[in-house]
Amino acid sequence: MKPERIDLRGAGDLDDIVRRVVQTRLREVEGLASGLERRDKQGLHDLRIACKRLRYALERFEELDPLLAKQAQHFSALQDALGEAHDRDVLLTILPPTMGKTQQRLQQERERCVDRAAELWKQPIGRDGSHEI
Amino acid sequence: MSWLAQTIRRERRALERARRRFVGEPTEKHLHDVRTTGRRFRSLLEDAADLLPHPRLLRRVRRAAAATDAARDATIIRQLLETSTDPSEVDVARPLIEELVEQERSATRIARRRLRRTSFLP
Repeated sequence: MKPERIDLRGAGDLDDIVRRVVQTRLREVEGLASGLERRDKQGLHDLRIACKRLRYALERFEELDPLLAKQAQHFSALQDALGEAHDRDVLLTILPPTMGKTQQRLQQERERCVDRAAELWKQPIGRDGSHEI
Repeated sequence: MSWLAQTIRRERRALERARRRFVGEPTEKHLHDVRTTGRRFRSLLEDAADLLPHPRLLRRVRRAAAATDAARDATIIRQLLETSTDPSEVDVARPLIEELVEQERSATRIARRRLRRTSFLP
């Protein structure tokens, strides 16, 4: 999934750049969050990639605004949960059909990872208790 | 703007250092380092493209990331298979684990060969 282009033309100062980057990357995550309800492989994968981009942006700007560290940790945890679900999805596609018990275990673990990600997504992360950063 | 330019220079040097470490000693840790440093740098270049475009460098970073995908995927999946296999199915899993180990080796060799020919410095 290609990242959305960030319009930085006419950006006034560094604060403005930070705001535009974080808002664009957060919008991407929000646009893909429905993957958590569908729980489909591709939807979750796309959301994971978007979370990763947002997390990297937040971590990069932490030195300018230390308050972003908390949000970065939140999206890191969300990305981890989605990553663990993704790893199980990949393994499930190559698992021999004779490994039924392992398959069942992986499927259950995968669902738990998605549940964890969905719980994390529900948590407010903004400074004012909202989903805004 | 100068902060952004400095950050690009700093992360570019970090990626080059990680590349050299991996080429010099292609361990799992060095592979992980070159991938994470590369992803961060790629994300930075994509985010800043409007103000400080580096299209050729971005292509190089993307290609380098793609060159390491197969090795990392094989490692992750092999490790997960080793820890998740039901005790009653260990024998069935063994050939797949061996196949993944071979994939790791061969993909790491290919990644090293490609990254040896790449430099992220100007």
